[in-house]
Amino acid sequence: MHHTLSQKLEGYEALTDEDRLALDGLVPRVRQVGPRVDLIREGEAPENVHLVLDGFACRYKVLPDGQRQIMAYLIPGDFCDLNVFILDQMDHNIGTISQCQVVDIPRRSIDEITARYPNITRAFWWCALVDEAVLREWLVNIGGRPPSQRIAHIICELLMRLEAVGQVTGNSFAFPFTQTDLADSMGLSSVHVNRTLRELKAHGLISLKQRVLTIHDADRLKAYCGFTPNYLHLRNSRWGGRRAVPWVHSAQRG
Amino acid sequence: MADRHNVETLVVLQPIEVDTGSPDRKGMLVIANGLLVAVLVRLDAPEHETPGHWFLEATFGRFQGLRAPPFPTLETATQWLRRQLRP
Repeated sequence: MHHTLSQKLEGYEALTDEDRLALDGLVPRVRQVGPRVDLIREGEAPENVHLVLDGFACRYKVLPDGQRQIMAYLIPGDFCDLNVFILDQMDHNIGTISQCQVVDIPRRSIDEITARYPNITRAFWWCALVDEAVLREWLVNIGGRPPSQRIAHIICELLMRLEAVGQVTGNSFAFPFTQTDLADSMGLSSVHVNRTLRELKAHGLISLKQRVLTIHDADRLKAYCGFTPNYLHLRNSRWGGRRAVPWVHSAQRG
Repeated sequence: MADRHNVETLVVLQPIEVDTGSPDRKGMLVIANGLLVAVLVRLDAPEHETPGHWFLEATFGRFQGLRAPPFPTLETATQWLRRQLRP
């Protein structure tokens, strides 16, 4: 299971056996956390870096009227903020969506590993850059795309991210999100999420059974929402390399 | 002021068919004092969490952006809307 972290980081940087060994040392104690449990709440002082090894979690805020906004999904291999221990207090909550395996990494361990392993340090920087890039894409999604494309886009993104950490079989992956989770992530009502999922199913693009989502035609789903995976900067995915080429070429021509 | 509170806003519902891109088609225009303020749509698609409830599909004016969970009946919907309209 610790392999998940190395696998994710190797999507950004080549790692040596020594690097991988050092990463294994980061995750000595794995704890099980149930679904819908907060790992840390807004206002609390963060002391450890949380790493999700298995399951799904999210970042969220709650408005005074009770409305929840989810700002990010955390999947296996994701840190809940690598440098979070610099903060005096959390400005948002992090909570699990499904049952998760979580590692609490003390600040000292992050300091030590980054001081000694430059590949790992660069891979950590990549993680932070990609987290920001994903957040930017979510902003574009919520502000610029119609509801049906928003949902299609997040499904494409999850496919790519989960595939990079070996969590996709065929084109199927665990999908523990409720319609309310999706609604609170994409600035929609659960009713609109319901209608959109129905539409995507009716078009034969996806099916959703017992919390497993299957994409039947990934190319068509991506074309449907104009998905470009460049912001994920993945080089070890099925599509990462293939997609990056035309994009780089057109940039070079321009 | 006491008098103002006693004056109920006249809320009229007018049936309308709505294209929601789904089986949810039966709708009601909500007209308050002669102005269209909201559109309610009945959730008829069986996959909804609360089938048969009335969903606040669209809102205008002072209702703009207001969210509410789907209402079990038209009465509860209009009661809620009236409450929001109170000064």
